[in-house]
Amino acid sequence: MKNTLTCREATRLLLEDEEHELPAADRLALQVHVKICFACERFVSQLNFMRRATRAWRKHSETDDGESGRS
Amino acid sequence: MSDFAQQIEHLRPHLLRFARTQLRNDAWAEDAVSETLLAALERPQSFGGQSQLKTWMIGILKHKVVDQLRRHTREATILVGEDGEDLDDALFLADGHWRDAPQDWGDPDAACSRRQFFDVLQACCENLPPVQARVFMMREWLELESDEICLELAITTSNLWVLLHRARLRLRDCLQVRWFNAAPASIEPA
Repeated sequence: MKNTLTCREATRLLLEDEEHELPAADRLALQVHVKICFACERFVSQLNFMRRATRAWRKHSETDDGESGRS
Repeated sequence: MSDFAQQIEHLRPHLLRFARTQLRNDAWAEDAVSETLLAALERPQSFGGQSQLKTWMIGILKHKVVDQLRRHTREATILVGEDGEDLDDALFLADGHWRDAPQDWGDPDAACSRRQFFDVLQACCENLPPVQARVFMMREWLELESDEICLELAITTSNLWVLLHRARLRLRDCLQVRWFNAAPASIEPA
């Protein structure tokens, strides 16, 4: 296991983490990196933002009657 | 036309919008919607009235959209390479640091309370390269498991991860440019 990640590597792992559970070693290295790197911490927030926004958009599309733009 | 049929027909534009967003092909979207209306009309008794009619129809439509994807996968020629270069090279310096640190996007609920935000999000999804757009929508909208997506599109899981990796980075880039960097007027609360 590498105990220091670059931001580029951390980003790749964070994106992979959206799809499947990471190996324990990667997860640990990632946790350490995000704690000390404000840029990657921001990236984590952006991923959370996108996840919530996409969910809200889907809900909106499923229930929207197409009239709300005019109301 | 029966009352039920009328109600269903009334939902057509809504269903079509949903299917188009998913499939990005008007003919396929029309087919998926027609099949959905037909299925609903043939089995009105399976609509128990326990949920909203629209919700029930969207539930049927999701299956029909997957059917369309399955039917047309062979035509779509899935090539992971066709989606071009990773954004990573543009985002990071040679030493692996961020070229520009990600910005604080604030509270998603604030953005989502504005209708224009969804328009931007949709435009950003539509701007994704076709295969990335498809896997992203299958994952996030149709809520298919990775295994199902790989099976439908005949790709490996590592291909899927690469595609989703690229899709999410592009989407992030697009939101930054088209929403967060846009005129301040468009991000004031509604």
